[in-house]
Amino acid sequence: MTLSARSSLGAVAASVAGALRTHKIRAVLTGGACAALYSEGAYHSRDLDFIVVGDATRTEMDNAMESIGFVRRRDRYVHPRARFYVEFPRGPLAIGGEYRIRPVTRSTSHGRVLMLSATDSCRDRLAAYYHWGDLQSLTVAAWIAARNRVNLATLQRWSTAEGAREGFDRFVAETSGIRRRKAPRRARR
Amino acid sequence: MMVTQSSSPFGGGTRTRVLLALSLLGESYPRELSRVLDAPLSGVQKALQSLELDGIVAGRSVGRTRVFQLDPRYFARDALKQFLRRLTEPEVGLQKQVAALRRRPRRTGKPL
Repeated sequence: MTLSARSSLGAVAASVAGALRTHKIRAVLTGGACAALYSEGAYHSRDLDFIVVGDATRTEMDNAMESIGFVRRRDRYVHPRARFYVEFPRGPLAIGGEYRIRPVTRSTSHGRVLMLSATDSCRDRLAAYYHWGDLQSLTVAAWIAARNRVNLATLQRWSTAEGAREGFDRFVAETSGIRRRKAPRRARR
Repeated sequence: MMVTQSSSPFGGGTRTRVLLALSLLGESYPRELSRVLDAPLSGVQKALQSLELDGIVAGRSVGRTRVFQLDPRYFARDALKQFLRRLTEPEVGLQKQVAALRRRPRRTGKPL
């Protein structure tokens, strides 16, 4: 697939994931790009953070990224046409104190992407809310939960372990609010 | 002359000392860290940058200043904090430097 200025985040994610797969590099899409995909456009991100799980040299990564037109500028890969850039933050793949993360393969119209599950993407945003008080992250987490199936029991357990029980209650309230606003009105008799 | 040499379990000496200072200060900015550690500003900035890449510290912008702290989202943060706390115990000089810093608020315009 040739990337252009009109390529969507999903298209770029699938293209990068495909190139990494071809070059036998196992990497998981995390962070804001994941949240943007799960929130179905309610949140926008211009950077794609992939965490490499396993071994890959800088040269192997450069080769994989160059195969789809990305070039490295310091620690960031940029494309001459696509609006999005790609980074590979150092691992391990962890969210707050939880490092036993099971990524999922999501099929999109552009291809397969190995990424955080909706529950983990939610946790990723909630970590920013719990530890930095970032309200935007709370809203995004609620959007993800309202638009996807997430495991609330897991979220609650993890939130308690992060010392954020009250934060979790606020997240649940926020999610319910979004669901109510989203719910179709009943037709009048 | 007595020479005291601290260990550097986090790579370079500045990286380790920046972490020790952050563990005592809670949060700080490069110029303050440079003063506290009596280290060149560029070295402190470089250490912070590499620690940030490792996900151990996190920085946020407050006005035009980058303020850093141990990343509360780091998966091994509790163990790291405990380790750093232990490492700061023999660092009497650093503790004194930190204790001498004025960090309480001061009303705008109040003469020194």
